[in-house]
Amino acid sequence: MKSIVIDPITRLEGHGKIHLFVNDDGSLANCYFQVPELRGFEQFCVGRPVEELAQITPRICGVCPDAHHMASAKAIDAVFGATLPSAAFKLRNLVYNAFYAGDHTTHFYALGGPDFVCGPDAPPAERNILGVIAKVGIDAGKKVIAQRARGQRIIEIIGGKKVHPVTALPGGMSKRVSKEEQAELIKIGEEMVEFSKFTIQIVNDVVLANTAYVDLILSDTYAHKTYNMGLVDANNKVNFYDGKVRVVGPDGKEHCKYEPKNYLEYVAEHVEPYSYLKYPFLKKIGWKGFVDGVDSGVYKASPLSRLNASDGMVTPLAQAEYERFYETLTKDKSGKTPVNATLATHWARVVELVFACEATLALAKDDEITSDKIFSPPQGIVGEGVGIVEAPRGTLTHHYKTDKSGIVTEANLIVGTTNNNAPITMSIKRAAEGLVKKGTQITDGILNRIEMAFRAYDPCFGCATHTLPGEMPMELVIHDAESGEIVQTARRNC
Amino acid sequence: MTSPRPLLVLCLGNEIVSDDRFGPEVARRLQDGTLLDLPADVVFAPVAGFHLLDLLTGRKRVLIVDTIRTGAAKPGTLHCFPAGALTPSHHLTTSHQVSLPTALELGKQLSLEMPDVVDVLAVEAQDLETLSEELTPAVYGALEQALDFVRNWIRQNSSEEPS
Repeated sequence: MKSIVIDPITRLEGHGKIHLFVNDDGSLANCYFQVPELRGFEQFCVGRPVEELAQITPRICGVCPDAHHMASAKAIDAVFGATLPSAAFKLRNLVYNAFYAGDHTTHFYALGGPDFVCGPDAPPAERNILGVIAKVGIDAGKKVIAQRARGQRIIEIIGGKKVHPVTALPGGMSKRVSKEEQAELIKIGEEMVEFSKFTIQIVNDVVLANTAYVDLILSDTYAHKTYNMGLVDANNKVNFYDGKVRVVGPDGKEHCKYEPKNYLEYVAEHVEPYSYLKYPFLKKIGWKGFVDGVDSGVYKASPLSRLNASDGMVTPLAQAEYERFYETLTKDKSGKTPVNATLATHWARVVELVFACEATLALAKDDEITSDKIFSPPQGIVGEGVGIVEAPRGTLTHHYKTDKSGIVTEANLIVGTTNNNAPITMSIKRAAEGLVKKGTQITDGILNRIEMAFRAYDPCFGCATHTLPGEMPMELVIHDAESGEIVQTARRNC
Repeated sequence: MTSPRPLLVLCLGNEIVSDDRFGPEVARRLQDGTLLDLPADVVFAPVAGFHLLDLLTGRKRVLIVDTIRTGAAKPGTLHCFPAGALTPSHHLTTSHQVSLPTALELGKQLSLEMPDVVDVLAVEAQDLETLSEELTPAVYGALEQALDFVRNWIRQNSSEEPS
């Protein structure tokens, strides 16, 4: 048996690795996806005033601190039994949708887009955001940057800081929005919606117009029939900030729908000895290993799963895109038939981008956001709270317990990538099974096709802030398991 | 919105990951008052990816203060080099890969107003794995030297770049 290691190195916590174990006949024996994380972070929270966690937990990730801030704020609200004034709820919802609009834009154009705009087999030097810009024009690149700036400006207006929000506090928000700021928010929201229309056109022109790409998206190499998790509102429509967690099976049937505070009744975590990261699964079905189907408790939490777990979108343009998405991929525009193609996650992300932009505009137009009633001081302490939001990379759960003084005694976090640990492993294995054969010369194209399997999830390797010098080398090594000798090495950026 | 000042000292890092706290600690000490009369913005940013592009746009000269692990120097050693010495990561696997050099190159490609000068002051780290709000002694010992470097960098660059 041979061992193949794909080694994307990050600065913090060393690196994540993909191990592929290959039999002598070339068949794939097994696949392990190791993700390091901030070991002991939950213990680090213990002994601190719970209010601090809304500022500390965003340090887990330098890419989407906003999601941790919001999940933490909701959990802290629950710890204090606080009820938000309506205006505060809307402000949080607004800033969170603006954050989503920026984050999804980045992923689509910088990460998912290059595989389709430039092509999965294009040289790495071209298969990147610069390659995308070269194909679709520099004006498109400027639109992307402008869209990100819009999101940052909204975060600055409502969240108090340009980089990440700091204004959510137990029982509401600490900063009100003026009429002048509301006018600016509306203008930005309108521009965001226009940008989302531009992105729809890119999807149409570049991806859907190419039948080879549609075939690639729908190919078995990138398909998994897992359960789908997502936050929904009272009408089972997609909601990023609030609602109940709904889980729908690969057959389209609802498995469960629960209040965030009850998550432990529905989700459990499997442990493998080779990874720090646990493997969440649906408790009532059980852990059956890295297999899909209705009898396996494996679920995914991603843009694709959120659409599958919902009955649609609450805004008109996003609903139209939702219907087109399902009509194209399942011939059933109702969305009752789940899409199980991992690469369709990129398109699902664009549907969500449209929704985030429309929701931002709709909330900006709501005059209640300029209300002075944005804070309801907590009157007591419950001592336990769960906050769940949909982070761009999956359902994000913060669960805190405190003593009577609000000092943290226990904390538990399930982050987006953790939810997807098992599906990512399975997706890589499926892709590798189709690509790594006996005598295969590992090329850059093969590396990329394997990467595509997990790039769709945009996994967060528990990184804290940033990378300098910023390389994230990919190294794939094939070992002879018997002798340990290296048979072949393929490297990128290292 | 006010226009950013031409000179920026951008301190990167994470306050809760041991020596990765170096950048934020430098920013905190600078913002405590010692630089209030100098013509530069001092910003601490616990961020990555495209956020870096947002922070760099519109500046003329930037000094990045950060932590690095080369393995070729003793912990606490200060490395000073132009950001151009770093190689951009072209092929992105996750959002976390949009690094400083990648952001700079992207900004140039998009004809954004990128800084003419980007220098890096990075301290050789001993510990980038432990969750801690304390620097290791070796890295702590480099703080004063780093502060002197930043002050001199601002003086030198402000004389070359009228604000």
